[in-house]
Amino acid sequence: MFAYIIRRVLATIPVMAVVALFVFSLLYIAPGDPAAVIAGDQATPADVERIRESLGLDRPYLVRFGEWVWNILNGDMGVSIFTNLPVTTMIKQRIEPTLSLMVLTLILAVSIAVPMGVVAAWKHGTWIDRCVMGFAVLGFSVPVFVVGYVLAYIFALELDWLPVQGYTAFKEGFFPWLENLVLPAIALGGVYIALIARITRATMLEVLQQDYIRTARAKGVGQRSILFLHALKNAAVPIVTVIGIGMALLIGGAVVTESVFAIPGLGRLTVDAILRRDYPVIQGVVLLFSFVYVLVNLLIDVLYTLFDPRIRY
Amino acid sequence: MIARRSLLAAGAALSLPAAAQPARVMKFVPQTDLTTLDPIWTISNVARNHGYMVWDTLYGTDAQYRIRPQMAEGHTEEDDGRRVTVTLRAGLKFHDGEAVRAQDAVASIKRWARRSPTGQVLLTYLDEIGAADDRRIVFRLKRRFPQLIGALGLPSSPVCFIMPERLANTDPFQPVREAVGSGPYRFMHSELRSGSFAAWERYAGYSPTPDNATGLTAGPKLVHFDRIEWHTIPDAATASAALMSGEIDWFEQMPPEVSTQLERQRQLVVDVMDTLVFPCSMRMNHLQPPFDNPAIRRALLGAINQEDFMTAIVGPTPARFATDVGFFTPGTPLANDEALAPLKGPRSFEASKRALREAGYNGEPIRLLGTTDIISTSAMAQVAIDFFRKLDVNLDIALSDWGALVQRRNNRGPVAQGGWSVSCFANSGMDFVNPGTHNSLRSDGNAATPGWPSSPALEALRMQFFDAPELPQQQAIARDIQRVAMQDLPYIPLGGYRSLTAHKRSLVDRVKGFAIFWGIKRT
Repeated sequence: MFAYIIRRVLATIPVMAVVALFVFSLLYIAPGDPAAVIAGDQATPADVERIRESLGLDRPYLVRFGEWVWNILNGDMGVSIFTNLPVTTMIKQRIEPTLSLMVLTLILAVSIAVPMGVVAAWKHGTWIDRCVMGFAVLGFSVPVFVVGYVLAYIFALELDWLPVQGYTAFKEGFFPWLENLVLPAIALGGVYIALIARITRATMLEVLQQDYIRTARAKGVGQRSILFLHALKNAAVPIVTVIGIGMALLIGGAVVTESVFAIPGLGRLTVDAILRRDYPVIQGVVLLFSFVYVLVNLLIDVLYTLFDPRIRY
Repeated sequence: MIARRSLLAAGAALSLPAAAQPARVMKFVPQTDLTTLDPIWTISNVARNHGYMVWDTLYGTDAQYRIRPQMAEGHTEEDDGRRVTVTLRAGLKFHDGEAVRAQDAVASIKRWARRSPTGQVLLTYLDEIGAADDRRIVFRLKRRFPQLIGALGLPSSPVCFIMPERLANTDPFQPVREAVGSGPYRFMHSELRSGSFAAWERYAGYSPTPDNATGLTAGPKLVHFDRIEWHTIPDAATASAALMSGEIDWFEQMPPEVSTQLERQRQLVVDVMDTLVFPCSMRMNHLQPPFDNPAIRRALLGAINQEDFMTAIVGPTPARFATDVGFFTPGTPLANDEALAPLKGPRSFEASKRALREAGYNGEPIRLLGTTDIISTSAMAQVAIDFFRKLDVNLDIALSDWGALVQRRNNRGPVAQGGWSVSCFANSGMDFVNPGTHNSLRSDGNAATPGWPSSPALEALRMQFFDAPELPQQQAIARDIQRVAMQDLPYIPLGGYRSLTAHKRSLVDRVKGFAIFWGIKRT
């Protein structure tokens, strides 16, 4: 197992290299010029050219790519073209809000979606099942930003229970931190809850038809034990897989959620950097997201062995 | 209904000891994030607004657009105007405690001049600039430059802010790393969270000018807040909700649909940000067909309806836009109505189609560049698309975000090679107040801004303006400029719109112009 993990961690290196090459090349050929954005719309071509030279954007592709890779290998992701802050500093400033949002959403989604899916499977064909499935369809269909606006309107503007926007760092206290994240986590969690609940229901329905469940019932095992101890454990592998795949959904959704709730996280950093063509920041953040995604996949593979002892690496 | 959060806030306030009164803090949402601290390196309105908090200027502009002394005590002219000496007020100090010296001003002026349109003209007049002593800045000119003092005091970006010499010696094409000035607020660098938050605190050592002028950037900059916080909220709906819920005090700029919602709130005021409009323009590529032909450019005039373009940006309320706008910002001294007849009166697409045919338009492709991420330019692009479709031209539409557009418009080649034909822009009203600040009027071909118009007559008049000593002469030249510009059309004026701002009703005495943080106070 340990050897497997080491092998997988080492395998991330070529994956990250391909991602790096891909991201850098895409940005190189994509339209946009940070020098022109900095110079402003009254700038003369000579001004734009001088700024481009000062930023080193006039150098050949291979020189810029080689320099970037060398710096990355030395732990230096470069400096933002606009803010002049190191990209690592900007990521450090933004990582806590995004991590907080994703963790809270994950906890919220799993703790709601899994019981929902289990109950829907148990009460298959009843109004409860239909309600859960209806919610799942709604969760998939309504965009995150619409849910965000509706929640903000009801809970912030009308009821004044929670703030409209912003983020309070965890070190300022648990409740202020939580207060700012409740609405964004619910908004972001909607689609995730829908996804997990549907998969849980489908997998549980399949497991509940198995002979060993019938045997357990015949032996007089309680319904709760059958559902959560016998059935759910055997349905866990596909559920964990979906939770892992859903991380990509969360990363994508965080971009929108952070904009709607003005949370200064990595999602907003990415959008701002793309709009300004702040290449070092875009490259750094995309590389980080790719690395996180690779790690999450590794974690999911390791978790399989906990839920299904037959799986061995 | 007593809301839970209000109750908690009230409880927290009551529990404060009497001596620990909260500082007077203003929470402000800027139009966009403060990405860079250097208002000379990048020419953005947020950088300028930040600049006016941190740095002071030698001269300011009052409500009547007259230039008044700020850091300067005054100036003298000798040798038929070829030697100008500006004297600094005594006792000025930077935020780091260092005295403001003439050497700081000299380095700042030199850096600014390389980036400013008027500054670049100044450099052609200048033999030398130096410090006679710690308080006297001496300009030695080849010949008299009547626009000198005005150039040092206009709030058009880039503004001639006075920085410490160690910062001002930075290459103007590289950003300065610190924000240290002698303005009314100190920038709190340690609190900066790029993309999210910036803060300034009142500078106790600020020395206001004794000149009692009032208005835009002139007169004593008396501040009534201990701390200004900028909270970047990219989504207008979220920012307006934050304003309605009382989380912020002032929301700088918003689209019309949001302003309508805010106007219904009794506790808020929605007002025009500036007394000046934002002039808008349709810029054509003068290097490539069909708009390399001035007759084809002029053929468009008969169908241009400025009201259509402005309504698309700010809605139908007439008080929120201006039409019959020429080449200078309405309400400023050089604005005039010379030769504007082709933009007035009944509009006719049929007449314009005929004029296009007579001018020799032969179905050449017209590529329109437009944005999708900026309210004003996106709205104008949509009207322009409709405009060209009604003219039955061979239209090719290329919409993108601003970042891609500013690169694409630098392509001087034909449409077939990725070039462009026409695009719409909006500018700050202060940019179009005179031919010095007005780079879109510049018509010296390849050296001009994208579109690259070439008009020797217009350039000659622009140069005449710089030599004109008094306002009546300048106004006469401005009329001539507009007459020639309406013939050669470096661009077509599309009108001007007023930017809206919203704040709590408890904020009063806001100085109109842009986001200015002196004068304004809480009742």
